[in-house]
Amino acid sequence: MNTKLYAVIYVVLFVFATLQVAVEFAGLTYWTAFWLIMALSAIKAVLVAAYFQHLRYEPRAITYVVAIGVVAAIALTAAASYSITGT
Amino acid sequence: MLITADGNHHTGEPMNTGVAVQSVVQIGDLIPRGTRMNVFQSIYWVFIALGTLVGVVVVGYMVYNAYRYREGGSHAEDGDDERPTLGEIPTGGGKGRKLFLSFGLSAVVVISLIVWTYGTLLYVESPVAAQESDQEELEIQVVGRQFSWEFVYPNGHSSFELVVPEDTRVRLVVTSDDVFHNFGIPSLRAKTDAIPGQTTETWFIADQPGEYQAHCYELCGAGHSGMNANVVVMQQSAYDEWYANTSGGGGNTSDTSGNASENGTRTTSEALTA
Amino acid sequence: MSSIKRWFVTTNHKDVGILYLVTSLFFLIFGGLLALLIRVQLLQPGGTILADAAYNQTVSAHGLLMVFWFLSPLAFGFANYVVPLQIGAKDLAFPRLNALSYWLYLFSGLLLGISFFQGGTFSGGWTMYAPLNVPIYMPSIGATTTVLALLMFTASVTVGGVNFLTTIHRMRAPGLTLRRMPLFTWTILLTVWMMLFAFAALLAALMILSSDRIFGTVYFAATDSGGSVLWAHLFWFFGHPEVYIVFFPALGVMAEIFQTFTGRRIVGRKWFIASMVLVAIQSFMVWMHHMFLTSINLPVKTLFMATTIGISLPFDLMVFALIYTTIKGKIRFKTPFLFAFGALVLFILGGITGVFLGAVVLDYEFRGTYWVVAHFHYVMVGGVTGLVGGIYYWYPKITGKMYDEFLGKVHFALYFVGFNLVYFPMFLAWETPRRVFDYPEAFTPWHQLATVGAFVLGASFLVMFYNLYASLVTGEDAAPDPWRYVTTAEWAVPSPPPLENYPGRPSYDGGALQFLEEAGPRPSGIAAADGGAGTRTDGGVAATADGALAGGHDHEESHASIWPFGLSLAGFFLLVGLSGVNTGGTAYVALTVAGFALGAYTLVGMARESQTFHGPSGPFGESWPFAKVENMKLGMWFFLASDVVLFGAFIGSYVFIRVAFGWGAWEPVPHDPVPGLMNTYILLTSSFAVVMAMVAAQKGSRNGVVASLLVTILLGIGFLGNKGIEWLELFHEGLWLSTNVQTSTFFLTTGLHAAHVIVGLFIALYMLVRAWGGAYLDDDKPVEYFGLYWHFVDIVWLFLFPLFYIL
Ligand SMILES: [Cu+2]
Ligand SMILES: [Cu+2]
Repeated sequence: MNTKLYAVIYVVLFVFATLQVAVEFAGLTYWTAFWLIMALSAIKAVLVAAYFQHLRYEPRAITYVVAIGVVAAIALTAAASYSITGT
Repeated sequence: MLITADGNHHTGEPMNTGVAVQSVVQIGDLIPRGTRMNVFQSIYWVFIALGTLVGVVVVGYMVYNAYRYREGGSHAEDGDDERPTLGEIPTGGGKGRKLFLSFGLSAVVVISLIVWTYGTLLYVESPVAAQESDQEELEIQVVGRQFSWEFVYPNGHSSFELVVPEDTRVRLVVTSDDVFHNFGIPSLRAKTDAIPGQTTETWFIADQPGEYQAHCYELCGAGHSGMNANVVVMQQSAYDEWYANTSGGGGNTSDTSGNASENGTRTTSEALTA
Repeated sequence: MSSIKRWFVTTNHKDVGILYLVTSLFFLIFGGLLALLIRVQLLQPGGTILADAAYNQTVSAHGLLMVFWFLSPLAFGFANYVVPLQIGAKDLAFPRLNALSYWLYLFSGLLLGISFFQGGTFSGGWTMYAPLNVPIYMPSIGATTTVLALLMFTASVTVGGVNFLTTIHRMRAPGLTLRRMPLFTWTILLTVWMMLFAFAALLAALMILSSDRIFGTVYFAATDSGGSVLWAHLFWFFGHPEVYIVFFPALGVMAEIFQTFTGRRIVGRKWFIASMVLVAIQSFMVWMHHMFLTSINLPVKTLFMATTIGISLPFDLMVFALIYTTIKGKIRFKTPFLFAFGALVLFILGGITGVFLGAVVLDYEFRGTYWVVAHFHYVMVGGVTGLVGGIYYWYPKITGKMYDEFLGKVHFALYFVGFNLVYFPMFLAWETPRRVFDYPEAFTPWHQLATVGAFVLGASFLVMFYNLYASLVTGEDAAPDPWRYVTTAEWAVPSPPPLENYPGRPSYDGGALQFLEEAGPRPSGIAAADGGAGTRTDGGVAATADGALAGGHDHEESHASIWPFGLSLAGFFLLVGLSGVNTGGTAYVALTVAGFALGAYTLVGMARESQTFHGPSGPFGESWPFAKVENMKLGMWFFLASDVVLFGAFIGSYVFIRVAFGWGAWEPVPHDPVPGLMNTYILLTSSFAVVMAMVAAQKGSRNGVVASLLVTILLGIGFLGNKGIEWLELFHEGLWLSTNVQTSTFFLTTGLHAAHVIVGLFIALYMLVRAWGGAYLDDDKPVEYFGLYWHFVDIVWLFLFPLFYIL
């Protein structure tokens, strides 16, 4: 791993963070903006995890451990929120 | 047969996602319907009967084997050629076929029981169409608070005693003013959570005039044990008369019986064992 | 070392195991006495020994004590003692953390004890439903202490979970692949996996509740925004896996005992394991079956009914596997087998009555009644039955003495009769509402039977305690393998095992357990069989000759540490202080400060000790699937995975409340996203700085490490400063934590994140000091591991920023 790659990642993260706020003022509909912004957050998170936490270079099993946690949290959030919507 | 039965019961009633499943599983009269008591009784006793049978067979088989293969018994040497040894790598014994056979059987029993009751769940969740058409239903708001139940009628009359006519579907819309409670009338098999900020619904049809008891089924504080209410089921004419005399716009009428201390739980035994 | 001091500083897994076992039995007595009080009150309708509030406290404390402070810790006493022996490890991966788990557990229990004297303990049942659990409805300081006690217990479980996961995954003997692992170890592995995620959700719930009670946030009081239901979701998301967390170890004990005393290998072993794995996964998908009567919609009810039935099926397979194992056996009805066999019978009854609850229409009517009480006591106390079997099974191993077989059988007879006498009548009187201290007269006979049964059950434990105590003195010496037909490694070493566990390096490479000569690190590659140097242990007796007992119980200095005890004591003071910090007066404030100071002191002490204290070092035999990850790093990742769920549950709570509130009607608390954006830049830059610190350490540049860490710290402080200014402005506008549900979620969630930043800063500061002294240049791992944490905190912010500032 060289410093250059870390620096590139850092710049990309910086730009994406700025983009997120720009999306807010771009005049998109709320839910389009919502998913765009969340997608940007997700991409940033994956970049940090993959390179700064170098998950890319670790055994895949570690990624799975963290992924299980993420899936569990999303399942809780989604199912609980859905359960109180009137269907 | 299947289609007509289904059509009769559900004409015009928009149902949610369950409708497709229902038309498959609902094989005419196999699905218990009727009052909540009918529904509960028929399912409960099937479960009790099957549960007892399964329990006796399985535990009996266990004990039989344990006795048959006891040390010193005539079969204790049967497996002597393959006893485990210290330090061996753990492996499984044989007889996988038998295992899967029993497992498959139990899965079939359990799944079919649950699928069977699912038809009734759909009925319980949306029973309007099942009701006989000449009857109107009665909707009553129930508000739980520490430690009493208040019942609000369509005309605004409010009372601490639930008075309903017989043979009418009574729909209860339940909420709470403070903490989490649960409203239940055991003899009429109506029960639902009373949650602050949310409303839930349940219903019942009482086919016997008389006095019943409602209890709270969720720990809600010091007075939880006595958070009961009287439920009075009247004949339609008596009810109509009673209802005509209630005044709208709140104010508790004289026949309210307040909460636990006056009400006592002792009287519930009659209702429960009735 | 004096024998008393030894127990305070021990980090050895066997010692810690004994501490767990003894302490859990103490809490059994505590919880059991409360149960007897309940049963006396219910002897007849209108009983008066426990009036309303006292009864509710008794019921609540009984449930909490038994589920948390008795059941799991008893199982983890065995896990501590037996698992390292079974997998061929000298100790757990992090011995000091293991001691820390224990002391946190003990002190959390003491905290619960104290709560009774602070105006009454928690009185809302072990499920702690909202909003009864907030101060308006339950104002006593003791109730807050109970919540904090549970919080501390959760910390203990998380630390322990990380430890066991690392140990079992990384430190197995050569040849002992996961597939070959003994069943008891398998159940513990799955238990800690469930613990890792389930307890993180509970931690979130408890943190929010503590905040509601101490800082005045309004999560659970916000009933118009689903606050009441939110608690149920968080609690049961934890609560259902908890059922298996409690039951699985018992299942493992039963499986071991069945195999030993029938002299058979378990039928369908791999399917048995597969079933357990399936259950462990599914356990996170069934929680709403506890909420069928809440306002959840029909599709969700249907889904959770299906998953609930799904999860019951693997248990059928496990039960049949155990039953078929007895066929062709040579069954010896020793006490352990009686208990394991009895446990299976009870579990079958518990399972059948559980199917009733899976039918939603029946569940509607059983909800909140004694049917539920009876059912889960059959399952849970059924599990206890298995674990009691474990006590007798491993007693000779742990103490080196045989228990009295006759008294053991007397215990079982009383226990089994008492059990069914107390719980079966509850099915017959099932119409009794749960948690009432008064009930309809018609049920009087059943409740009286139950009370008699409770006393028989209680008395049976007196027989056990006497037996265990007397046998310590008068029991015969136990052979290494007192049972025959055992297979697992703990029976191949003396009873009790020596400090270092084995007379050599255990290995299964040769197709069975061997002890190889200690010969330094094993060359890489699993196939290295070291020639025929190993001494095969037939019956285990041969292995005792190696002077294995020479080490005795004297601890080398490097294996002793007082810090786990000290840190837990500090936590105890801190939490007692916090419980009354806002209402209880200056003594509480003083305790809080003292606890905090002592905590900081002990943490530094523990960190400094790390340079000389080393856990077991590799290379280990089998480490799938984490062979290429070092223990510490893996432990860090397990911890982070649980932290993911913690933050996930916080964010989930925010989303849930916002959905209930009306998503679109909700305005973000900060008026403008710019301070948040600034902080995003700051954190991203600090992450980059930490990466640079690691690069500098790898390059051997002391100045680089120092400079990068310094930048990280300054940026961290900048982040907090920026946030502080933002918060102060909001406070000036009159927006406080307790203002409304928006401000509550905003301040608490971002506050939890800020707390993570502060913790990170303290670690960075400590590392800066050490880096100044030239540390990390030949070993950059600490910098790397700190980075993992810091980047995680960064990632969390990447989601908090849009959710709380923009959207
Ligand atoms: Cu109540
Ligand atoms: Cu559950």
